[in-house]
Amino acid sequence: MGCEKVLSFSSVQVKSLKIVKMGKKEERARAEKLSVYLYIPNIVGYMRVVLNCVAFAVCFSNKTLFSLLYFFSFCCDAVDGWCARRFNQVSTFGAVLDMVTDRVSTACLLVILSQVYRPSLVFLSLLALDIASHWLQMYSTFLAGKSSHKDVKDSTSWLFRLYYGNRIFMCYCCVSCEVLYIILLLIANNQTENLLNVVVSTLTQISPLSFLLALTLCGWSMKQTINIIQMKTAADVCVLYDIEKQQHKP
Amino acid sequence: MASNKQRPAKLSVYLYIPNIVVSTFGAVLDMVTDRVSTACLLVILSQIYRPSLVFLSLLALDIASHWLQMYSTFLSGKTSHRDVKDSTSWLFRLYYGNRMFMGYCCVSCEVLYIILFLIAENHTENLMNVVVESLTQFSPLSLLLASSIFGWSIKQIINVIQMKTAADVCVLYDIEKQHKP
Repeated sequence: MGCEKVLSFSSVQVKSLKIVKMGKKEERARAEKLSVYLYIPNIVGYMRVVLNCVAFAVCFSNKTLFSLLYFFSFCCDAVDGWCARRFNQVSTFGAVLDMVTDRVSTACLLVILSQVYRPSLVFLSLLALDIASHWLQMYSTFLAGKSSHKDVKDSTSWLFRLYYGNRIFMCYCCVSCEVLYIILLLIANNQTENLLNVVVSTLTQISPLSFLLALTLCGWSMKQTINIIQMKTAADVCVLYDIEKQQHKP
Repeated sequence: MASNKQRPAKLSVYLYIPNIVVSTFGAVLDMVTDRVSTACLLVILSQIYRPSLVFLSLLALDIASHWLQMYSTFLSGKTSHRDVKDSTSWLFRLYYGNRMFMGYCCVSCEVLYIILFLIAENHTENLMNVVVESLTQFSPLSLLLASSIFGWSIKQIINVIQMKTAADVCVLYDIEKQHKP
């Protein structure tokens, strides 16, 4: 009887020790999670989100402020990557936050432009292309097991190789897109303007603005071409993944 | 030689009609078509209704939540983001546990957007006015509108919860990688 009581008492002790240990474990897990959320580059990421929210809240009333906030948020994109490497705080969550912020901010800017210019189908198509190509890219990156879609080394297209082989060229194309969209928003005077008229008249002015517009149009067109090639490449990766899976079946 | 064999095999997957045989490409095509079509519809609605910031926010939420979902699905190695079994939220469990309920919420969103598009008469209408007017008419349309608004709101709440859950998966993935020797 006495032995049983002692045994049952100690089993209660063990159980309660286990509960205390689990509680401590949960606390540690929660603290670890919180620390990743509070990484410096991730805080920069949250700042980017806030900047974009404020920017789009004022985009109709104050185009200049919107452009400054949007461009500053775009610059922070480079900053948080640098911070992550500098402070050794690279995180998957940070990379996803970065990607999602990029996609959403570009999408919203394209929506604004589709309201300002006619035909709005142009910007609708660019939105579709942006979402589709990046989505397929990401999916195929996962399937192929590469660490980042920016690490593509094998490809047949010379433009592809140039884009992914040369970071400065890649940067030029990406920055051109954002700068082009901001310029288009700033040079719009009334609602529902004809896009082609505005672009042609600005280009023929032969001013510093014309030069900048021409430069960004060049980079933008290459980026869109890359997007299309990327969709085909990524779709092929998805298909090959299935084929290889089938071939490995016993 | 190998590339010659691969080309007909690739083509045959692309030509699956209509991708009834489960294929990765088919699933991605499906996902991308959903996202892009919803995005474009939201863009149209943002042109018709004021304040357009409403539809801009819905677009942002749609893209962000589905993107994070997909990423976290890959990280945790599940085959489909619809196979989430473990969760603390009752709404989450209801949504993912009951296919009919999930179907109702998803369909409600699309139906709501289409209704809003159809009942708009002029350009730049006030969204609140149009919705309240249609609801107070007490017609079959009001019932349909009310039902789809209900399903739509649940879907948006799920989207928000999903973002938090998916973000947690990303963070836990890194933490577990660190703990491994």
